[in-house]
Amino acid sequence: MTAREPDAIPRLPVDPPASDEGALVRIENLHKSFGELEVLRGVSLEVHGGEVVVLLGPSGSGKSTLLRCINFLEESQRGSITVGATTVKCGGHGRAHYESEHEVRLQCGMVFQDFNLFPHLSVLENIIAAPRHVTGSSKEEASRKAHELLEKVGLADRADYFPSQISGGQKQRAAIARALAMDPQLMLFDEPTSALDPELIGDVLGVMKDLALSGMTMIVVTHEMGFASDVADRCIFMDGGVFVEEGPPEELLFHPKEERTKQFLRHILPKPGGEESPSNGAK
Amino acid sequence: MPRNNRLVFFALILVTVVAAILGILSSPAAASASVSVPPKIISASPYTGMLSGWGGETISVTFEPATRNGRPDPLVENRCDLWVNGVLAKGVRRAVSEAPYGSTIQFSNFPSVPKGTANFHVVLKTKSGQKAEKSWSFAATGEKVPGLINPGLMREWSGYIVRGIGWTLYITVISAVLACVFGLIGALGRLMKTMTFRAAWKRHHSWAYMAGHTLRMIPYWLATFYASIFRGTPLLLQIYLIYYALPAFIDYMRVHSSIWDRVGYPGAIVSGIAALSLNYGAYLSEVFRGGIQSIPKGQTEAASALGMSRWLNLRLIVLPQAFRVVTPTMGNYFISLIKDTSLLSVIAVPEILKRAQLVGGMFYDYLSPLLVAAIIYWGLTIFFNFWQGKLERRLHRDRARA
Repeated sequence: MTAREPDAIPRLPVDPPASDEGALVRIENLHKSFGELEVLRGVSLEVHGGEVVVLLGPSGSGKSTLLRCINFLEESQRGSITVGATTVKCGGHGRAHYESEHEVRLQCGMVFQDFNLFPHLSVLENIIAAPRHVTGSSKEEASRKAHELLEKVGLADRADYFPSQISGGQKQRAAIARALAMDPQLMLFDEPTSALDPELIGDVLGVMKDLALSGMTMIVVTHEMGFASDVADRCIFMDGGVFVEEGPPEELLFHPKEERTKQFLRHILPKPGGEESPSNGAK
Repeated sequence: MPRNNRLVFFALILVTVVAAILGILSSPAAASASVSVPPKIISASPYTGMLSGWGGETISVTFEPATRNGRPDPLVENRCDLWVNGVLAKGVRRAVSEAPYGSTIQFSNFPSVPKGTANFHVVLKTKSGQKAEKSWSFAATGEKVPGLINPGLMREWSGYIVRGIGWTLYITVISAVLACVFGLIGALGRLMKTMTFRAAWKRHHSWAYMAGHTLRMIPYWLATFYASIFRGTPLLLQIYLIYYALPAFIDYMRVHSSIWDRVGYPGAIVSGIAALSLNYGAYLSEVFRGGIQSIPKGQTEAASALGMSRWLNLRLIVLPQAFRVVTPTMGNYFISLIKDTSLLSVIAVPEILKRAQLVGGMFYDYLSPLLVAAIIYWGLTIFFNFWQGKLERRLHRDRARA
C-alpha cells in the first residue's frame, strides 16, 4: 500500500525537458478524479509523430482513463491536452471549448475493448457513417475508402455482414477500420484484445502491427507483452495515477528499475527477464 | 249630500262589477274544465328503412306526454295495447321510459310473428283516461327471432357500424403520429437532466454555470410536468376537458383580445385527436426515455470518438437502436390507442362504438350491435399485430441471417 502514497512514488518531472516541435501529442499535468477518487494525478506525456507508445499498469492505475481523457470521453479537471495544432485547457466549458474538443476528437481514432460497433448497421455502414455525416464525404467516396480499409484489415468479404454475424476478432478489426476511416493522426487503443479468444488475438495484433509499421502514431493500453516488445517505441508503466517508469520496451520490460514495475511484471510475464529472477523478499 | 250619496253608490257598483269580472277570469275553477293535453304519438318502430322484415323485435312508440290541469298525466302500462293484424297481442311485455323531452313505450316478447305484412295498431291510455292511437304497417318475416342475438339486425346494420372504421383509423393514425412526436420531445426533455444542482456546483463552482444549468433544466421540468399531468389524470376526463373547457377558455380570452375571434372552437374530432395524442405522448415519452437509456454507453462513446455531434449521435446511433428496443412496447400502446378511440363516443364522434350505440338505441337491442363492434375492434387489433410483427422482423434485420 505504501506504493500508492504520492510521496512514495518517484515522479517524472512535470515539464519534460527538450520538447521539440515534432511532438504530435502533448499532455501537461493532467488531473482527473471521479468524485473523491483521484485517478490521474498530474500526468504529462509527449508523443511524436509515428511513435508507438504502450501504457502498462495494473487495473485501476489510470491508463484507460488517460486514453479516454485524450479524446474527451472523460472530462479532466486540470491540465491541458494538445493534439496537432489544437490545445484544450481542461475543465472549461462554453462554445469555443467544446469546438476545440471536437477538433481534437477528429484527429484521434479510438478502438475500444468491447468493440462498440453499431449493431443496427452493417460493417460497411459502420465504417462510412462518420465520414458521410461528420466530414460530409459522398456515399461513393466513403464506400470506396471503406472497401480499401476492409481489404487492409482482411475483412473484404464481410462488408455486408452485421456485427452480430461476425467473430470477435473480425469485429475488432472492423472497429479499427471504422476509426481509420476518419483519417486520424493518432490512434488510441484501449485494451483492444482483452475481450477476445486467445486464437483471435493474433489477427488483431497483426493489423495493429501493420498500422504501426505504416507510420501511424499510436497510444496502446494492452497486456500483450509480445506486442509491446515487438512494436512499441516506448513503454510507460503507470500506477496510482502517475507514470512510475518510462523507457524503451527492452529496458522497461526486461530490466525495470522501479520495484513497483518489477512486481507488476512478475505477474504478467511468464519469465521475468533473464537473470533478474524475483527474490522472495521483494515485497 | 244626496248627490254625494249617489256618486258613492255608483262607484261601489262599478268596483263590484269590475272585481267580479276579474274574479271570474282568474278563477281556477273556471279554467280546469277546458285545459287538457292528450298524449301525441310522434313515431313508432319498426319503420321503413330499419329492417327488411319484422321478426318480433321490440316495438317502440315515442309520444309527447299528456297533461291535465297543468299536471303530468302518466301512461298506464297495462292499459296500453297493441294489435297485430287485428289480434290483440297478449302476454306482451310493456315498459315505459320517460325523459324530459319525451317518452317511449316498448312492447317486447311477442309470442308469434305473422308472415307477409304486419298491420300494427297501438292504443295508449293515460291515468285520467286520455287516449292516443296509431296504425301502421311493416313487412314481417314470419319467423320469430329465436334468442339473445338478432342475426337479421346484425346483418342489416353491421354495414353502418363498419363504416365507423374510417373514423377510428383516421383518428388512430393521426393520434399515433402526433403521440410519437410528443413522446419523442418529452423523452428528450426528460433526458436533458445531465446532473443535479449539487453536482453541477461541486464541479464548476461558478454562478454563471449554475445560471446556464438552470436554463438547461427547463426542458426537463416541462417534460416532467407534461408526463405527470397526462399520465396522472383519466383519459376520459382529458377528453371532456378539451372538448368542453377549451371553448369556455376561448370565450374568456375573447373578452380580452380580438385575436381570439379568429380561433374557432375545436370540434369533436379535433378535441378527440388532441386528447388521445397528448395522453399517449405522455406514456410514450417514458417508453422512449427507457429505450434511449437502454442503449449501452459504449455506443455513444464510440460515436463521439468518431467526431459525431450530440445530434448526429442521437439521429444515427441512439434513436435507431432505441426504436428497435421500444417497438414491442409501442405496438402495445397502439393497440391500446385503437381501442381507446372508442372513448370518443362520449363526445359524439361517429366511430364504431358510437354507431353501435345508436343502432342499439334504435332497436332497444344493444347486444347484437355491440357484439358487431367488439368483433370489428378485435379484427383491427389482429391486423395491426400482424404488421407490427413484420416491422419488428424488418428492424432486426441483423438477426435474420446468422
